[in-house]
Amino acid sequence: MNSHNITHRQLFFLIVQTQIGVGVLSLPYSLFSKAKVDGWISLILAGILIQFSCLAIWKLCARFPQKTIFEILPKIMGKNLGMVFNIIYTLHFAAISILLLAMYNNIVGKWILFETPHWVIIFIMAFSGSYFITSTPRELARFYTLVTPLLLVLLGLILYAYTDVHFLYLLPVGQAGLSNILKSSSDAVVALLGFDVALVFLAYTSGSANKMLKAISFGSLCVTLVYLFIVVTTFIYFNPLEIIIIPEPVLYMLKAFSFSIIERTDLIFLSVWIISVATSFISYLFVVAKGVQTLFKLQNHQSAAPFIALFCGLIAIIPNEKLEIAAWNKYVSLTSLFFSGISPILFLLIAVIRKKNEKGTASS
Amino acid sequence: MKKVTYLLPILFLLTGCWDQTMLNQTKLITAGGFDYTKDDKVIGTAAVPQAVAVEAGQSKVADLIFSSTGFTARQTRLRLDRKVTERLEASKNQVVVFGEKAAKKDIYHLLDVFYRDPKSALNAKLAVSKGRAADVISTKFEETKTSTGVGEYLRDSIISAEESATVPKENIQTICPLMFDPGQDFALPYLEPMGDKIKTVKVGGVALFNGHKMVGTIKEPLSVVYTMMTGESSTVFMSTTKKISNKKNQNVLNYATIKVQKNKRHFSVKVSPTGEISAQIKLKTKVVVTEYPPDKLSSPTEIEKLEKALSKRLSKDAQEVINRLQKMNSDPYGVGRKMIAFHYPTWKKLDWAKEYPKTKFTASIDVNIVDSGIIE
Repeated sequence: MNSHNITHRQLFFLIVQTQIGVGVLSLPYSLFSKAKVDGWISLILAGILIQFSCLAIWKLCARFPQKTIFEILPKIMGKNLGMVFNIIYTLHFAAISILLLAMYNNIVGKWILFETPHWVIIFIMAFSGSYFITSTPRELARFYTLVTPLLLVLLGLILYAYTDVHFLYLLPVGQAGLSNILKSSSDAVVALLGFDVALVFLAYTSGSANKMLKAISFGSLCVTLVYLFIVVTTFIYFNPLEIIIIPEPVLYMLKAFSFSIIERTDLIFLSVWIISVATSFISYLFVVAKGVQTLFKLQNHQSAAPFIALFCGLIAIIPNEKLEIAAWNKYVSLTSLFFSGISPILFLLIAVIRKKNEKGTASS
Repeated sequence: MKKVTYLLPILFLLTGCWDQTMLNQTKLITAGGFDYTKDDKVIGTAAVPQAVAVEAGQSKVADLIFSSTGFTARQTRLRLDRKVTERLEASKNQVVVFGEKAAKKDIYHLLDVFYRDPKSALNAKLAVSKGRAADVISTKFEETKTSTGVGEYLRDSIISAEESATVPKENIQTICPLMFDPGQDFALPYLEPMGDKIKTVKVGGVALFNGHKMVGTIKEPLSVVYTMMTGESSTVFMSTTKKISNKKNQNVLNYATIKVQKNKRHFSVKVSPTGEISAQIKLKTKVVVTEYPPDKLSSPTEIEKLEKALSKRLSKDAQEVINRLQKMNSDPYGVGRKMIAFHYPTWKKLDWAKEYPKTKFTASIDVNIVDSGIIE
């Protein structure tokens, strides 16, 4: 067990890499569709909200050191109810993995590989995912740390937009109205999802509880800031009336830049971005594998890996229209808002009220 | 060993070759043009360069010009495709030219295919041509005979005009936000084909737009003043020659040429309590005198005198540009955008198209000579 553990620094990278994923491309668009140019305010609100969820997740896991959510749930809710919730959570994380695959397939199919069959695009990702999760959390975390500098490449490319921006597009602030800004922040929470994998990965983290909290909360903060930068950049690059017709504003913006060596910057961006998607996908797949392991009482999660990948891949092939994916996205958004955003807080309350914590350790 | 079993299927999938586009199976368009026929059909013209080997080691580029008509821009492209062997690709397109009549109708409808297609070249230059776009693209220009194809020729002409600030820097993507913006318009280069025997194209100034439609032109050299006032701080060679007196008997002595080193724009839009809108552009510009035949720029008073004369002249030109813009109802400096940003309640009540020409809009340019070349 010990050799599998990750440090709190690695946890930070794990959270960051999981949070930055498919959402980054379409976040400006989804924020804009409700809150107009005030979308960035919604993002900040969402960033504050998830800090509370992070706090709850940490507090919950701190009561049960070295236990994953799937082991915690039966403890705080009793065996049967815990089992039901385990099934729900496993399905929920599987749904997120499937949605990730479907959205990644949609974007890659639309922007780069027009002719390649969709199942090929999906299964390349699904198989690499199943290969990755045969590793230990420590190996995963090391890989994530290694690819984090690539995020700087992404941000550097976006920085180039500042050669042609119109700062006045952000004004006047508050024209969308408070209710729209609040409504839109639920979309932002969905794009920021990924901190929820801490429910499982915290079990593998060694170090003091404070440092762990710092890692998750600082990771979420960093991602919120990165997203804020991206959202604001696209908002001042595109006219407010233009964003409505551009579902992937980040890519569209990059498509217009060309340098003497690189003509299509968006393709470079996409190839780097695929790694970010892969890291999110791998994290969720790992969590699903852990869930399946608990449900079927398997020896280790590795043996479940290929079946889960196959399952996710096969389902992800089904939606082949962008409207279908949008509908899936809507459902999964709602469930994740509940299961990842709100229920950790509820679980914590239940655990506190029923005074449940790991035997032998003092309650915090 | 077990891990290898995961890697094998990935390796097989990664060899995929569905998405290859063979260069020898495509024809690359480098210049495209759009016109309308009298009965509202779109005429699309495309130039496809073909390398022709003349002698060993030497090759020449010959442009093949194709054209076809259709009800929309995409349909003309599809029909063009039927006319040529291999597949037409616009991913390396350099320039899109609109005939003046087409530009006066609506350019967004024609550009839609460029915005929609993930492979299209959004950094291609745009231009409006005097007369028909098809004529500009199919002309055998002098320079294209020896070196480049027509696409590169037109693009380079436009880029050189941008460097001399005759036209502002724009491409297909940069005008897109402005086309959608209710509070700002834009301008594109205006091409004039010249010459009988030795054919050249001249970037004769800018074509001003209102929304999606072209509404007028500002010719060079006044277009340099136009570009200066867009807030562009400097370009490679932002120069203009101005007549500053008419006292000298030799006409050439009445002129001075300046090169702008740095512009600083102060642009304000105010709404008075009674609801009157006023806009003002104040430009502080640092210039280098690159030509001044009367010389004698050694004394401070002489320099001051020249500064004053230039400021007066350029301010007059600036006001002239503004007046013309208001007359055309084109708002490329974004007075409306400032209204949206800072006076949103007032803006919401306005019919901007009617209000803009009536706005009190003034401009002035304050010249500061910082250098005069290597002589005085």
